[in-house]
Amino acid sequence: MSAHNPYLEDFSRGIIRENPVFRLLLGMCPVLGVTGYFMNGLGMGLASTAVLIASNVVIAALKNFIPPQVRIPCFIVIIATFVTIIEMVLQAFQPVLYEALGVFVPLIVVNCVILGRAEAFASKRPVLRSLVDGIGVGIGFTLALGILALVREVAGQGTVMGPDPESTIMLFGEGFEPMGLFGQPPGAFIALGLLLGLTNVIFKKLNIK
Amino acid sequence: MRDILRLSITLAVVAIASAALLTGMHNLTDPVIQERQQREYLEALESFFPEIDDYETEEIGDDRFDLIFDQEGEKLGVMATAKTQGYEGTITYNLAVDNNAEIIGIRIISHSETPGIGDVITTDNFQEQFIGKSFEDPIEAGEDVDTVSGATLSTGAMVSSISRTVTAIGENFLDMQRKAFDFEDLEDGIYRGSTEGTYGEMVVEVDFRDGRIEAIEVIEQNETEAYFVDAYPEIPQRIIEEQRLEVDVETGATLSAERIIAAVKDALEGAPEGDGEGGDN
Amino acid sequence: METLLSIIFIYILVDNFVLQRFFGICPFLGVSRKMETAIGMSMAVIFVMTMATLVTWLLYTFVLDRFNLQYLQIVTFILVIASLVQLVETTLRKISPTLYQGLGIFLPLITTNCAIMAVALLAVREEFAFIEAVVFGVAASLGFSLALVIMAGIRERLELANIPDVLQGSAVTLITAGILSLAFQGFRGMLTL
Repeated sequence: MSAHNPYLEDFSRGIIRENPVFRLLLGMCPVLGVTGYFMNGLGMGLASTAVLIASNVVIAALKNFIPPQVRIPCFIVIIATFVTIIEMVLQAFQPVLYEALGVFVPLIVVNCVILGRAEAFASKRPVLRSLVDGIGVGIGFTLALGILALVREVAGQGTVMGPDPESTIMLFGEGFEPMGLFGQPPGAFIALGLLLGLTNVIFKKLNIK
Repeated sequence: MRDILRLSITLAVVAIASAALLTGMHNLTDPVIQERQQREYLEALESFFPEIDDYETEEIGDDRFDLIFDQEGEKLGVMATAKTQGYEGTITYNLAVDNNAEIIGIRIISHSETPGIGDVITTDNFQEQFIGKSFEDPIEAGEDVDTVSGATLSTGAMVSSISRTVTAIGENFLDMQRKAFDFEDLEDGIYRGSTEGTYGEMVVEVDFRDGRIEAIEVIEQNETEAYFVDAYPEIPQRIIEEQRLEVDVETGATLSAERIIAAVKDALEGAPEGDGEGGDN
Repeated sequence: METLLSIIFIYILVDNFVLQRFFGICPFLGVSRKMETAIGMSMAVIFVMTMATLVTWLLYTFVLDRFNLQYLQIVTFILVIASLVQLVETTLRKISPTLYQGLGIFLPLITTNCAIMAVALLAVREEFAFIEAVVFGVAASLGFSLALVIMAGIRERLELANIPDVLQGSAVTLITAGILSLAFQGFRGMLTL
């Protein structure tokens, strides 16, 4: 454990201590909106991570050419460009996921995690560190989405790997009646609230500030 | 001044680079997307009609109909792509029928019904009820096909939409006429019948003479007035003109129109009340 | 007219942007602590959202769609929203300093309020006509405000409640939002477009 290695620090910070979802409550719209199924949550997490990494790297590389006064519009255009590319790629190669995520794919552009990292980190740091930071925060975001989606799918549907019937695994017997609430909007809020409570307990136990 | 110029140029360069990159990506991915959509559609057609060699597309309103042909150019059947309003939004589905207008398959393409409740429309249990039903068969929710309790609106919407689509396929592409309600051999007289509406009973009197419906009068109704005026006297006029009960119900008041027809049918199924001579309406 | 009334009803109650569709969650959690800030944010959102829907709809219909540039939608929309927010901020500061004091601090936050972007994207996706799109923008922003104001009212009382240690802060806010969302579930299915 070398606490002085800046790369390690950049990498791990976003995953646990400053987890964008569980600790900072950022980027909440997709967190709640697409986590009805594990695969959708995971897909959304990975798509956002891709945009985050790409925009972090490009912004870090261009930071000296962009005058501070127009920095925000430039960041926004760069992020929006990568979001559009991801949208095209998903539509072409992952159509099922693309349909399932719906309007939340273009909405990655207003995910405050991404603009937040661009403004707070990438615009002040070298390319390599921004890359590592992007990967770390991305993993943290994906992890949070995955956990919430898994909880919601198991409780709300009694399955994993849905909704595609080919990959769906029924966890319980035929007679199992899932708690439909968790598949629906109120369940999203409640499940995330409970998970936040759980992380609070864990962090307190482990004494992480 | 120089500053503003520099700012504008930076922004412009970023924007142009972005647009150029996206145009490139668009040109790369667009053909893939188009081809995939085409292929998926073909796969759906093939799953219903393994013998398919060619198809012809026709559009009626918002619905799309594909006439399917085999290698010899023989017609195998029709697949429709239709839409209906479910409980929470639009349901889009494929309905395949063979040449005898018998349903051979249903596939839900997209829907936004409540998970765990309205989404039973995607289950085999629900869809299998329709298989084998044909143009000739009545398809009515709760009678010929079970609706699912708790999801009455979602399933009901599917049942009536499927019924409409089968009728449209039969009439437009398979030269079929809905078997008419047969009233030619009835005795002359005044027939009275009724049906339940949303807000109460509707009662009609039908004047029947010499094998013809001469007049229809709604003598009691509890419909919403604003809608009812669209259906009455328009629907009775259509029935009398065409001398059949299977008239077009598109009036802006479809429910009232269907109720009038149901009440007339109910009347003609019963016994006449008068001899028809005294009726001056 | 019927469609317009349906749109208003649906997007305020049935398909509430915050509680049923999860758009604009960040400001919903962020500024709902006090009624005063909630109302300020609501006003700013109503204004910007309506304007944004209007401008993006025109832009999409008469430029992007006409010249087959639909794929530039995200870039242009977010730029329009960002400039609009900037414009509103500058104008407000010049014209009405008092109003600016009230709304000013919320305006920069609005650029990344996904409800604004969502309403612009959905107006195009749902193929609304111009008037419908504008009414949709108004209704969605009113729905957002309704949720925000109700939430602020609850949270002001929640301050005094005795909440388990671990659930304090965001956790209990989310659970409260869940119960509120559950209440709004009652409107489900009442109306579709």
